[in-house]
Amino acid sequence: MTTLSLKKITSAWIITILALFVLAIAFGITMRFNQGANINLDPAKFYSLLTTHGVTMIGIWAVAGMVAVNYLLARYVPVSTSLNVFAFILTVVGVVMLWVTTFIGHFHAAWTFLYPLPFYVAWEKWATPVFLLGLGVLGIGWFVWAVGMMLQILKKYSLRHTFAWQHLTTKHDVAVETPPFILITTVSLIGIIVCLLAAVVLLVLFFAEYFSSGSFVNDPLLMKNLTYFFGHTLANESLYLGLATLYELMPEVSGRPKFKTTWYVALGWNCTMVFVLTAFFHHLYMDFVQPVGFQMIGQLASYFASLPAAAVTAFSVMVLVFKNPIKWSLTNILFFLGVVGWLIGGVGALIDSTVSNNIFLHNTLWVPAHFHTYNAMGNVLFSLAFFNWAANEFVGNQNETKSYSLKIVLLLIGGFGFVLMFYFAGAYSVPRRYSVYPQEFTSAALLASAGAWFACIYLVVILWMFFDIVKKCFKVFSPSY
Amino acid sequence: MLQGVLTFILITICVASSFSKPGDYSLTEESRLYTKISDVELATAQGRFRLSEVYGQSPVMIAFIFTRCSGICSPFLLRLNENIKALSSKINFRVLVVSFDSADSLADMVALAQRYGLTANSQWLFATTRQINELNTSVGFHPVWDSTKRQYDHEALLVGVNENGYIVKKLTGIREPRDLLVMIKEINNDFVLSYPLPRKNMLFSCFTYNPATGEKKASLGLVVLLLPALITLLLLFWFSLKKQEANRAS
Amino acid sequence: MKAHEFVLALFLVSAIAIAGLFYYFFLSSRQAADGGGVSNPTKKRFFFFTALAVVMIILLLVTIPKSPYFLFTGENPSKVVYVAAKQYSFTLSSSAIDPQNPVSTEAIELPAGQPVEFRVTSLDVNHGFGIYNERAELVTQTQAMPGYVNRLRWEFTEPGTYNILCLEFCGAAHSFMRTTFTVK
Repeated sequence: MTTLSLKKITSAWIITILALFVLAIAFGITMRFNQGANINLDPAKFYSLLTTHGVTMIGIWAVAGMVAVNYLLARYVPVSTSLNVFAFILTVVGVVMLWVTTFIGHFHAAWTFLYPLPFYVAWEKWATPVFLLGLGVLGIGWFVWAVGMMLQILKKYSLRHTFAWQHLTTKHDVAVETPPFILITTVSLIGIIVCLLAAVVLLVLFFAEYFSSGSFVNDPLLMKNLTYFFGHTLANESLYLGLATLYELMPEVSGRPKFKTTWYVALGWNCTMVFVLTAFFHHLYMDFVQPVGFQMIGQLASYFASLPAAAVTAFSVMVLVFKNPIKWSLTNILFFLGVVGWLIGGVGALIDSTVSNNIFLHNTLWVPAHFHTYNAMGNVLFSLAFFNWAANEFVGNQNETKSYSLKIVLLLIGGFGFVLMFYFAGAYSVPRRYSVYPQEFTSAALLASAGAWFACIYLVVILWMFFDIVKKCFKVFSPSY
Repeated sequence: MLQGVLTFILITICVASSFSKPGDYSLTEESRLYTKISDVELATAQGRFRLSEVYGQSPVMIAFIFTRCSGICSPFLLRLNENIKALSSKINFRVLVVSFDSADSLADMVALAQRYGLTANSQWLFATTRQINELNTSVGFHPVWDSTKRQYDHEALLVGVNENGYIVKKLTGIREPRDLLVMIKEINNDFVLSYPLPRKNMLFSCFTYNPATGEKKASLGLVVLLLPALITLLLLFWFSLKKQEANRAS
Repeated sequence: MKAHEFVLALFLVSAIAIAGLFYYFFLSSRQAADGGGVSNPTKKRFFFFTALAVVMIILLLVTIPKSPYFLFTGENPSKVVYVAAKQYSFTLSSSAIDPQNPVSTEAIELPAGQPVEFRVTSLDVNHGFGIYNERAELVTQTQAMPGYVNRLRWEFTEPGTYNILCLEFCGAAHSFMRTTFTVK
């Protein structure tokens, strides 16, 4: 059941996430302008911005998925508002700690803080432990929250039913139907729990070395594996949380019958759960010390994780829309476009996850190109769709009359223009994470400036939506609500 | 509770660090790699050969010793012999023990082979050569005669040569079987993509390379990598078991 | 067409195809009436899935043998170059590098048309070792990880000056970390 307190905490989340989003986009634009030589930042400042941008974006969009899932989960099982509030407080504390380290402590080891870089202190000494602690605070909040949701699901559905295994064995007339939303939420929450545990292990190893005063060191190979196990998986699971929301809401707002769990939906998502946990090996293709077997698993898992996604989710969305009368609104247009962005980003990801391509794409701008596509034009749109829907829900009016076509057109131009500049630069070997470009990359600066201007258009749309959505969210807090 | 966790972590660290120890590594091992070894003439109990006739048949490991040595040569040969005995017989290579002391005669080398019981072993070859300076230079080996001790000041050197006569790997000092195995793989033209450098106590290393199978063996680090998924699985099963019990009770 | 341009073209064509298809789906919904929709979706989905799976398996079979791990394995490199990366410079040497005292001995010159081997390590944090040709195209690369030596083999076909750039974020001066060698 959706209670007032759930609405309030969800509103608080939406307002916080969108505010942080706007700021993080602004940091991103600043960096692109610096790469375009339009402004001139000190490199350390540039990398502080890079660190803040990365850690904020990955954090808010992971947590946005959890906020949406938590809100919708209340339709099926009782959810704990106190856990939600607990996670909110820890997230705010964690974000403040992280921003303090980057802006006051000048910490700039990037959000991946690849071992042993944080120990090569080029910033305030306290910034390293506080940054790691800040991540720990975020991790604890989300871990407890995710486990809480998982347990609530398991209280109602048996293990077999949560994973929809009954749909695999009997094709017709199952006694208990697992809603797709429950299945996908379970799969994603398990992924979240696993990658947060990987983060815990990583942080424990960091701190163990930190406090050992040099009596032992960590294995850089293990630390790198753990870093991407956590980082890559978190980014992927955020997307899947967004898809859970799509499965639940898109047919509803489109005025179509709900999605059903069938054997292929069950099989697809069960496979995704397994594949996605080993796909992170593709981050280590250029580390020849990693055994070749793992590299092969990396490519296989990256390919086959995308197969169920395309054949199940994208195909289902096609079936939902194709030649069917749809009540188009901003909410389902955002879901629909999110699928397009997710698929296009997926193609970029597949190209990069092929080892023979990775040798000339690894750590070029192709990498930010593809992940910005499926984040900024995929996952963000899924979450914005939910935010828009939730804001309308709070004011009790899903029938928006305002035209949204200008917003959508600007969003498409800004978003795809922005990522396209990354793709061009990436294909032409421009390295990622460079504060300025060496002279030999003749068009890199121009592409960066163009990217920044496109991102400005994207930012305008986000601000526009921000005001629309936040205005409605604030109503929940008024005494007369 | 917190104290318990901390103690546990500390104990784990101590135990884990005792497992890893720095390996041997010498910069001289990296000299003259991928250059061709000098094709000197060898005198052996089986007759006179050119070195190219030896490596032309199968890849070869060349051990440099001298029979009057009162230092490292004996333990070096002893360990080499033991380590090779422990290997699988299917691996394709020969061992050539060559004296770098011009005072050594073929008879001295034959006596040495007898002492180690290797006279009849076709995998082993004991030789002298008149062109030892040429051979030494081509592998980057520089023994120095100490006239007061009447001994050569030298390192224990094993040179791996492939079937084309290229030096592909060198090992100095008395080494473990696993280092030997890397050399055997390399002289058989199997490319090893990466190798670790010696370093301080390392916690939870991911892999130890096993050249016998050509695979990297999982070590403690890999368990650490599996831990998150394992804990999640256990959590799931534990909870569903608890739920079943609760259902039965009600 | 070069590999860089091929992947860009492949991506752009796929992206436009996806966008076009979804725009078509969107348009189809605007004039639709109840009772429309896809006929026999399960069968179509099965075909779609099978076709996609076949394409992916073919791609895997074609691309995996081209992985860098299997290149030049049975060959004897004509030269070895030792590389030690350290914040924010590369040490290149034709003899092994002493970690305590890393010095570049001489200007590195490599032969064209023959395989060469780079033995790459790092003396501090993770770095990247990306080799760029004169047209600023990334030719090949490996990572420089502390504690390990990665062996990268390559055969340069074009003579010229090659730049080495750091391709793993290693600190504030990351974008200035570079060196060169020549191929003759």
